Amino acid sequence: MADTEDAGTSSVSEPLDLVRLSLDEIVFVKLRGDRELKGRLHAYDSHCNLVLGDVEETIYVVEEDENEQETIRTIKKQEEMLFVRGDSVVLISPQA
Amino acid sequence: MSFFGFDTTLPRDRAAPSERRGIFETPDPFAEVARARAAGFQGGDDDDDEVIDFEDTYDGLGDQLDDDQDAFNDDTFGDDLGAPPVGKDFDFFGKTAQVADAIGEEQIRYSLQKPRAPPAAAVTADIAADPAVTAAAGKPKRTGYEKYSDPGYIPDLQAKSSVWGVQKKQDPTPFMMAQAQAQAQAQAQAQAQAQAQAQAQAQAQAQAQAQAQAKKMLSLEEVEAQLRRYPSALPGQVPVSLPQSMPEPAHPLQRAQMPPLPEGFAQLPPELLHAQFAKGVPPPAQLLHQPPMVPEPYPLAPHAPNMPMHLLQNANMPPQHMGPPQRQMMPPGGPRAQQQQPPPPPQNMRGNNAQLPVITNPQQLMHLSEEQRVAYLMEDAKRAKRNHKIFLLSKGNGLMTPQDKNFITRIQLQQLVAAAGNVVDSDSEAVLAEDFYYQVYSQIRGAPRQHPHQPLGHFAQTYLLQTGNRLGGHGNRRQFQNADNHMQRMQQQVQRAVEAAKAKPKNKQLIIEGSLGKISFGNAKAPKPMLNLKRPESSEGGKSFKKPQTDLSLSDRKSILTNIESVYSTLMEMEDMERTMPPPPDENDPEAIQKHMEWRQNVRSLNQKLWRELKVMEPIVPNTNTPHPFIAFLSYPKGKKAIPRIFRHIDQEQRVTILTMIVVHLDTLDVVRRAQPVPGETQPSLAVREAIDLFSQTVMPSLLGYVNEAPFNIIIGLLGLVIAQTHVQLVAKTRIGLGILTMLLSRAEIVKEADQASERDWQQWVEKFNVLFDTLEPTFADLFPSSINAGDDMYVWQFLAAVGIGASPDQQQRLVIAVKDRVMETVTYSKTLPADMASQRLGNVNLFMRAIGLDVELLG
Amino acid sequence: MENGTSTEGKDPSTFLGEIIGAPVTIKLNSGVVYKGELQSVDGYMNIALEKSEEFVNGRLTRSYGDAFIRGNNVLYISAH
Repeated sequence: MADTEDAGTSSVSEPLDLVRLSLDEIVFVKLRGDRELKGRLHAYDSHCNLVLGDVEETIYVVEEDENEQETIRTIKKQEEMLFVRGDSVVLISPQA
Repeated sequence: MSFFGFDTTLPRDRAAPSERRGIFETPDPFAEVARARAAGFQGGDDDDDEVIDFEDTYDGLGDQLDDDQDAFNDDTFGDDLGAPPVGKDFDFFGKTAQVADAIGEEQIRYSLQKPRAPPAAAVTADIAADPAVTAAAGKPKRTGYEKYSDPGYIPDLQAKSSVWGVQKKQDPTPFMMAQAQAQAQAQAQAQAQAQAQAQAQAQAQAQAQAQAQAKKMLSLEEVEAQLRRYPSALPGQVPVSLPQSMPEPAHPLQRAQMPPLPEGFAQLPPELLHAQFAKGVPPPAQLLHQPPMVPEPYPLAPHAPNMPMHLLQNANMPPQHMGPPQRQMMPPGGPRAQQQQPPPPPQNMRGNNAQLPVITNPQQLMHLSEEQRVAYLMEDAKRAKRNHKIFLLSKGNGLMTPQDKNFITRIQLQQLVAAAGNVVDSDSEAVLAEDFYYQVYSQIRGAPRQHPHQPLGHFAQTYLLQTGNRLGGHGNRRQFQNADNHMQRMQQQVQRAVEAAKAKPKNKQLIIEGSLGKISFGNAKAPKPMLNLKRPESSEGGKSFKKPQTDLSLSDRKSILTNIESVYSTLMEMEDMERTMPPPPDENDPEAIQKHMEWRQNVRSLNQKLWRELKVMEPIVPNTNTPHPFIAFLSYPKGKKAIPRIFRHIDQEQRVTILTMIVVHLDTLDVVRRAQPVPGETQPSLAVREAIDLFSQTVMPSLLGYVNEAPFNIIIGLLGLVIAQTHVQLVAKTRIGLGILTMLLSRAEIVKEADQASERDWQQWVEKFNVLFDTLEPTFADLFPSSINAGDDMYVWQFLAAVGIGASPDQQQRLVIAVKDRVMETVTYSKTLPADMASQRLGNVNLFMRAIGLDVELLG
Repeated sequence: MENGTSTEGKDPSTFLGEIIGAPVTIKLNSGVVYKGELQSVDGYMNIALEKSEEFVNGRLTRSYGDAFIRGNNVLYISAH
């Protein structure tokens, strides 16, 4: 039965289809430099340049305290609209 | 138009121009058309009626122009078939001729004395400067484009720099002259020092002066005349400027056509000569002695013998006095190339090499140390090599005028435009009009209208513009505008190329596969991939890894998103169709009717496509965890947003199907299912609230729009479905669920009040209503959001009002009892609120209270 | 690959084409490892993974239903 519906299931025939299907959906984006974004995907292109709306940005900063213990501090930022340049994108995951 | 702006014609030639219009005399016959169009004939593109009338546009300025200035065009651009050969008695020093009548007379006298040269002897003015032109001149009729017929012809767009008055690096003459001078002077000085004989120098100087004076006495024309006489006078003699070993007999004819100029002349670029002459500076002999011309002394000939003597002699004496030593100061390749027929290159090279030992006066070489000698020879070889190279490069110098070059540039641009998939230029006629080669061909053939598509008027115009016949004597004025027009044309072409490139569809990626393998190009739109992945065929490869996914396949996330995507694509197509709807067809116009029918057929098939993609008709699988595809569709924001657009394009039957689908799955809708706040929370999560809001704003109005027109039996049926198919109590606890129930109840009430319901229908309705009432009665109080201040509870009051109106007095009473606490609570709570908020809350309550014939006012 | 197909004479494209649907391990230049089912790969080595897990320094840090990995970060793709 699945075979007849293959056209539907093989909708992801190339990786960017996954991103395309996530248009207007909330996506999680992992960036270089220990940054993460979560927001609604408004637009993208083949370079993974992205336009995200209502974004929450999370930055992970490694800090050393007095005991030379490394702790990871997170900084959160909210952005109404964000353009992300594709070259810093590592991963895009649709948030179900 | 002469190259230097002065008349270079012989008087005999002056009458000729008007009859001897070369094909290319107006190199861009279309430029005028373009210009005129740009000036306001935009509407008249290729339209016979609007063809530019020359008389309308002509400003009369041409009458004031001196046509004589253009007389030499024929030599440059070619000649008509019937024109007499140009002859060899060209005027090299025409400026002088114009200035001094005497000289001119001398010239005329000379040319009259001389028998008319055979056509083969035709020469052009810049013969001394440009051997290539001379080659072309060897043919009787010149269009200026014979070169193209030569299969071996390699187009050289390099213009001779001197012709355009721009000094190019490649131009060897000035450099070599300077070198020669440097050498000569250094030698002179060195020699003077070495021999410590001041008198030698003095002698040399005296000689120089004497000869310079002698030169002054001799007019340029006379020198020229001498030179002309020379070949006939000394037919067998090998011109001494050639190396002795040159295979002379190879070019006897050419030699005869083109006597070598005196050494000094040959070394000077023509424009320099002219410049010097104009200033009244004595010609080459003295020129060569002017120190400023010496960039740096030639370092390698310190012990050179008495070179200045030779130099001066060479400069002024008849050529036969020139001896081998002149080679020393004159690099062999360049000057020869400049003044002689170009011999076949390899030959030339061999000549140079063979000459190397001879070049230098043996005496001179003996003075050199071995090292110096070697260095000198090497230097000389290098120079020879470079000169040869320059010679090769300069072969085509001056072949083309700036107009010709502009033409070629335009052709190239045109091809670029064509290659870029120009959409603008699809008109075949426009293409022909722009086609340089076509126009040339048609001119050469002389037959009018080779192309039947070309309108006669258009052709005639271009033809006339081309030949200049129509313009008569004024034709030449155009050439003053040609440069501008060319620029305009080129700019237009570039602009069009850019536009075409822009208009070009964003092709994914260019892959060229040739014998050397595959090359792929990327661009900003489609970057070049690192790998060229073959998609595995569905029958094998990767198939073994296919997940055993079966029933999920219809409603998994990606499939649903894909469905949504295709629905949107179809929607956009339909919306596009809507915009292109043909006007209502006229009864008497079968074509319009046909068009309309086709359009409606398209709309219908798109509607069917949309319907399939919505998957509303997918079978309902009972007792499954997988939501129905359409319900899953609605669970995505973009799915919800699509509903209003979808409703505009579907018929009532489809609408009721959708409504039924939603009603049947009311408790599985995400906005219902997830609307219950998790324990401990007063309201659902933000995402769910957003989803509910979105559903209320998008889907509900569409449904309401349909329900408000739906027949009563459908409302009854829907209510029955809610009761039968869904978890009514759960549904009623959500805003969307209550909303839909309210919708149905209100519609029933409206139908009843309008007295449209049949008795039987009404009985059915009441039955269903009673079931609903009984089912919900225990939970009436729980329909409200848990906390009084949790926010908006209006939708609950609306529902209660709808229930209350349709309820029997008994039911009303039970209803009041069920919600009485909430009523009191709200009234009390509203007293703590600001006035406007309080009245709003009380207003909500009153919705319900009035429905059952009460008012909050009564509650005090 | 243990599905019986020969690994002889294959080019990377063929390999990548054949492992669609297979469980794979992707290592990024940063050292982060992703394990999941390979949905698709393209010429830029962009990867779509299904049911993937993210490992940083060997520790599971996240899991994704679907994940798109931009190809320039990919160090290797391994099918197992």
